[in-house]
Amino acid sequence: MMGSDAVRIVVHHPIVWFARRIFSGVVVVWAAATFAFLIQCVLPGDRAQIIINVTSGNVGPASSAELAAINAKYGFDQPLAVQYGKYMLQILHGDLGESYQQHRPVAAIIAEQIGPTIVLAIAALLIAWLIAILTTLFIAGRDNIWSKLLNDAQVFLATVPPYWLATILLVLFAVKLGIFPVIGGNSPIGLVLPTLALALELSGFFGQVVQNEFTRVLEQPFVTSARARGMSDFGVRLRHVLRHAALPGITLSGWALGKLLSGAILIEVVFARQGLGGVLVAATSSRDVPIVSGAVLISAGLFVLVSLIVDLTYRVVDPRIKLT
Amino acid sequence: MRSSNARPTRRFTGKSNYPARTAKATLLVLVGLSQLPSSIHAQEGVAGSVKRGGVIRYGHFQEPACLFGGWVQQWYLQRQYSDNLVARSEDGKIVPWLAESWTISDDKKIYTFEIKPNVKFTDGTSLDAQAIADNINGWLSNDPDLRNPTAAPYLSDSFESASAIAPLRLQVTLKVPFQPLLNVFAQSSQGILSPSALKRGLAVNCENPVGSGPFIVDKWRHGREVTFRRNPDYNSAPATAKHQGPAYVDGITWKFLPDQTVRYGSLITGETDAIYDIPAVAWKDANSRFPVLRHLTGGTPLRLALYTARPPFDDVLVRKAFAYSTDRRAAVDTSFLGSLPFEGNGALSQSSPEYLPELGHSYGYDVRKANQLLDQAGWTERNRNGVRVKNGNPLIVRISYSNAFLKPDGEQALQVIQQQAREAGFDVRLQPTNPADFFAGKNLGPDDYEVVLLYWVAPGAEIFRISWKPDQNGETNRFNPSRYQDLTLWDVIQKAEQELNGVQRTALYQQAERKIVDEAPVIGLTVLDVTLATKPNLKDVWLDRGSVGEPVFYDAHFDDGK
Repeated sequence: MMGSDAVRIVVHHPIVWFARRIFSGVVVVWAAATFAFLIQCVLPGDRAQIIINVTSGNVGPASSAELAAINAKYGFDQPLAVQYGKYMLQILHGDLGESYQQHRPVAAIIAEQIGPTIVLAIAALLIAWLIAILTTLFIAGRDNIWSKLLNDAQVFLATVPPYWLATILLVLFAVKLGIFPVIGGNSPIGLVLPTLALALELSGFFGQVVQNEFTRVLEQPFVTSARARGMSDFGVRLRHVLRHAALPGITLSGWALGKLLSGAILIEVVFARQGLGGVLVAATSSRDVPIVSGAVLISAGLFVLVSLIVDLTYRVVDPRIKLT
Repeated sequence: MRSSNARPTRRFTGKSNYPARTAKATLLVLVGLSQLPSSIHAQEGVAGSVKRGGVIRYGHFQEPACLFGGWVQQWYLQRQYSDNLVARSEDGKIVPWLAESWTISDDKKIYTFEIKPNVKFTDGTSLDAQAIADNINGWLSNDPDLRNPTAAPYLSDSFESASAIAPLRLQVTLKVPFQPLLNVFAQSSQGILSPSALKRGLAVNCENPVGSGPFIVDKWRHGREVTFRRNPDYNSAPATAKHQGPAYVDGITWKFLPDQTVRYGSLITGETDAIYDIPAVAWKDANSRFPVLRHLTGGTPLRLALYTARPPFDDVLVRKAFAYSTDRRAAVDTSFLGSLPFEGNGALSQSSPEYLPELGHSYGYDVRKANQLLDQAGWTERNRNGVRVKNGNPLIVRISYSNAFLKPDGEQALQVIQQQAREAGFDVRLQPTNPADFFAGKNLGPDDYEVVLLYWVAPGAEIFRISWKPDQNGETNRFNPSRYQDLTLWDVIQKAEQELNGVQRTALYQQAERKIVDEAPVIGLTVLDVTLATKPNLKDVWLDRGSVGEPVFYDAHFDDGK
C-alpha cells in the first residue's frame, strides 16, 4: 500500500506532470514536422518545376537543364530518406530552411511577421471575452426584450463570416465615416477594425456557451445562499456565477486562439495588415513549402504552449482540479 | 503566359482568397462616397516651375517574393530602381537610355553600344560596358541566381556573347540576326543591376537590389511596403523622360494593398496618392473623380488557346465553329462592365505596332455558321442532352484557367461562354485551378484540357517566337499550349525577326498574324491593361511603354495649386 501511494504521489508530482507534457509536446511537434515534410513530397507536381514556373510567371514544363540546376540547389535529387534526415537535423538546429521564392531563412520570415499576428489574435481573444462576459452578465437568466435582442445578436455574430464583416466595417468606419484609417498599418488605431472583425464572431460564440452555463449555475443552491446573505444581483453574478460559468469558456480559449490565428490570415489580407497572413497566402499560392512547413511547425508549438497554459489556468480557476 | 494580375491573389483564390464578389458589392458603396480632404504633403524647394519634395504613397496590388525577376509584379518595382540599356517610346521607337548610341553590323549580328559615361550604380560601382555584359551573360546562363526567365526565351536561340570591347563600348554578338533584340533590352525585367551587388547572392539581392535608377530601395517591410528614396546623383534618365537629373520627389512608399476595396478606398480617403488597377466596378467613378492612366499591354491578348494536337480541335473547322458559337463580345461587356474591350484578334494585342484592326472583329457570334462547320466536320449527331457526338465521342471542351492569369470578373465571361456554346452542341466544362496547382501543371497535361486561358505581355509581335516556335530536337516549346506546329508560320516569323527594314518586317509579322487568326489555334477574348488613378495634385506620372506599362514616378511632382 505504501509503495503504491508513493508511486501515485510521484506520478502526480507537478514536475513529472510537466515532463510528461513536454514529452507529448515534442511528439506533437515532431509529428507536425514529419507531416509537413510528407505533404510536400506527396503533393502533385514536381517541386523544381513549380519553383521555376512561379519565379518566371509561366506554366508548362521547363527544360531539363533548368530543372537539374534547381534540383541540385535544393537537394531534390537526393533520396527522400536523406532529404528527411537533413530536414529533421536542420530543425534540431533551429533552422527551418530557406524560402524557395524569397530566398531568405524561413525562421527570419516568420519571426518578422508573427508578432503582429499574435498581437491581433490575442487582442481579438480579449475583446471577444470582454464582449461575451459583459453581454452575458447583462442577459443571462433574464427574460426581457433587451436580453432577447442581445441573444439574437450573439447568434448572428457567431454565424457571420469574419471577412465579410471586415469589409463592411472597413467601408463603414474607415471609408464612409473616416473614424479609422483604411490602411491601418501596425498602429494601435489600425488594430481596432481588424480586432473587431475577428472578435465579434467569437464573442457571439463565447457568449452563447457561457450563457448556457451561466443560466444553469444561476439555479444552483449556493447562488440562492449568496443572495440570502444579502448580496446584490450583480455581485452574485460577477463574484460567484461567472467563476463557475467561465470554465467551458476557458477550455474553448485554446481552440479559439488557433481559430483566431487562422482567421487572422484572411483578416490581415483584407486590411493589408502586416502579419503571417499575407506571407502564408503568398506561400500557399506559390507552393513555397519551407514557409508553409515552418508555419505548421510554429503553430504546432504554439498549440502545445496554449494547451499547457489552459491546463494551468484550470487549476487557478478551480483548485479542485488536479494536474494529471 | 506572363501573369500581370496573379494572385494570390492571388492571387483571387490563393493569393487573395477572399471573395471578389463581396469586394464588388462594397465597392459599389464606395463609389457613391464623396471625396474627403486630401492629406498634406511636405513640399519643399522649387525647380523652375516644378516643386520638389514629398513622398508618393502608391497603392499596388501584389507583393512579389523578390524585388526583381520574371513576374510582372517584379517589373513594376524594378522600373523604379534600375535603368535599361535602351528605352521604347510611345510610338514604339527604340531610343537611348544607358546606351547613348549604337550601330549594327552589315550582317545584322553584331550590335555595338556606346555607353553613357560617368554613370554609377547606387552602391558606387561604375556602370560601364563590362557591368552590362556581365548582366546579359548572366541572363542567358543556367545559373538559377542569374538566369533571366524573360530574356532567355527570346534570346537563347540567337545570342552568342556580350563583351566590353572598351570601357564604355559594349558588343553583343548574335548567332543569327534578331531584330527584336532592342525591344527585349527595353523591358524592365532587363534593368541593369550592379554586378558587385549581384555577387552577394539572391537572398540579399531580392531584399535590396542595387541599380542605377532614380530611386534607391530603402527598406522592404514585408507584408506592408517597400520604401524608395531619391537617388541624389541620378544622371542617366532615358530619352523618354520629361527631365534629366534626380527625381523631383523625395521618395515612394510602395504599399501592397491586394484588396481592391482597400486600394480604391485609400485613394478616396487620401491615404494614397496613386493606386494601381482600378476595379471594374469603380471604373466610371474613378474616371469622373481622378486623373486616370491606362495602357493596354502589348504581346498577346487574353485568349483561349485551343489544344490542336488531338480531337476535337485538331480540326480547324471545329476550332472555328467554337469561335463562332460564342458571343465573346457580350461575355466581355457583361463581365468587365465596360472597363475592358472585346478583342477578336487572338494573335496580337491591339497596342502592338503590328496589330491588324480588321482582325479585331474575327469570328463574330454566328451560331448558324458554327452549326454548318460542325456538320461539315462530321459532328452531325446529337445526344439527348443536345451535345454533338462523333464516332460515339461527345463534343466536350474542358477550359482550364487560373486566377493567376485571370481577373475575378473574367470567370463570369467564361461562364457566359459555357452557356452560349451549348446551343451549337459543345459541352463546355470549366476547370478552375488554384495558382499553386496551375504552376505545378494541374489541368495542363496533354490529356487534361481542350482550351486554356493564358496570355503573355510583350512590346509587340516578337511574342510570336515565344508562342509559335515549333518543337525542335526533342525540345518541347513549353510556351505553346495550343501545341500548334506550323513550319510555314515559323518560317515567316523567323524572316520577320531577321528583317531590319521596318515596313517589310511589319508586313511579314502581319502575314503571320493573319495566318494565326485564320487557323484559329487561339481565339481572342479581351485585352490586358494597366490602369492607374492618381490624386489631382500629383502630376506627370506616366506609364512605361517598354514592357508592361509600369508606372514611372521619376518625373512626378506634387502641385499645391489643387
